[in-house]
Amino acid sequence: MDFSIIQSFIIYVLPIYMVAFVLYTIRALKGPTISDQVLAIDAMSYDLAAFLVVLSIFFKEPILIGTAIVLALWIYALDIYIAKYLEKKEVGE
Amino acid sequence: MIEDILVVIGMIMIGVGAVADLIAAIGMNRFKNFYLRLHAATIGTIWGAFVPLIGASLVATGCYCLGSYRWFVTGGGIITAFLVLILAPAGSHALARATHRSGLVKVEPCVVDHLNEEMCVKEG
Amino acid sequence: MLLVTALASIFSVIAVYYAIMEKNLVRAVVFSAIQSTIYAFIYYMLMAPDIVLVYIPVAVGLYPAVILILISKTEKVEKQ
Repeated sequence: MDFSIIQSFIIYVLPIYMVAFVLYTIRALKGPTISDQVLAIDAMSYDLAAFLVVLSIFFKEPILIGTAIVLALWIYALDIYIAKYLEKKEVGE
Repeated sequence: MIEDILVVIGMIMIGVGAVADLIAAIGMNRFKNFYLRLHAATIGTIWGAFVPLIGASLVATGCYCLGSYRWFVTGGGIITAFLVLILAPAGSHALARATHRSGLVKVEPCVVDHLNEEMCVKEG
Repeated sequence: MLLVTALASIFSVIAVYYAIMEKNLVRAVVFSAIQSTIYAFIYYMLMAPDIVLVYIPVAVGLYPAVILILISKTEKVEKQ
């Protein structure tokens, strides 16, 4: 299939993703407790990993794909740190 | 022919993922409570991240315009999709467990809570 | 594309402002993580994937871990 069709489709899809990211960021900035903020940034980062893969097709540069794997793995680490801190009130030991 | 079918299926999956992302973001702002927002987070991670990643892999497989490096995109997309499928529920579960154990958020629309009776806020 | 990058930059500035003004230090760490994620996206849009590969483990992974260990050894709320 022609590449311009895929590119114009991604152009139409892109604003929906951007509105979703803005709403996630608003919840991450104002969330009443720490858990709400971490949950919002968690969901935002997994969606951002998907968006990065879509953008690497859009920019026609396959070398950009490695960033999505790294982002998905390290956001999980942030989740576990905060959960450990909230449960035991300490990290490490 | 088969490549065109793969590209169309992949584009449909990317569109479904975008709409699910928007729904999850609206739900994240509209729900009242942390435990209710977990529903929106589940929608956002499975329908909003796993489905478009598989769709992007299918698009990259079917499109010759990316050159021979398109297999790179396919493999990276599928690996990221399975990582998200494993890690996102584990992270949400760890966070919910820590929040309930530390007593940070009360369980608001509650019928019974056998883990900790003081966390339960009954209606009316 | 430049418009998307500019929007992300504005939100990162807001996150940095909240991180500086926040009294509860754990919440400040979470605001810093928001800023790091947005910066990773900005570096991606500026076509620097090598910097993204280094920036995400340092700023999202290691930095909150070190700061949380430090907070758990000392005190949680900033005093006047």
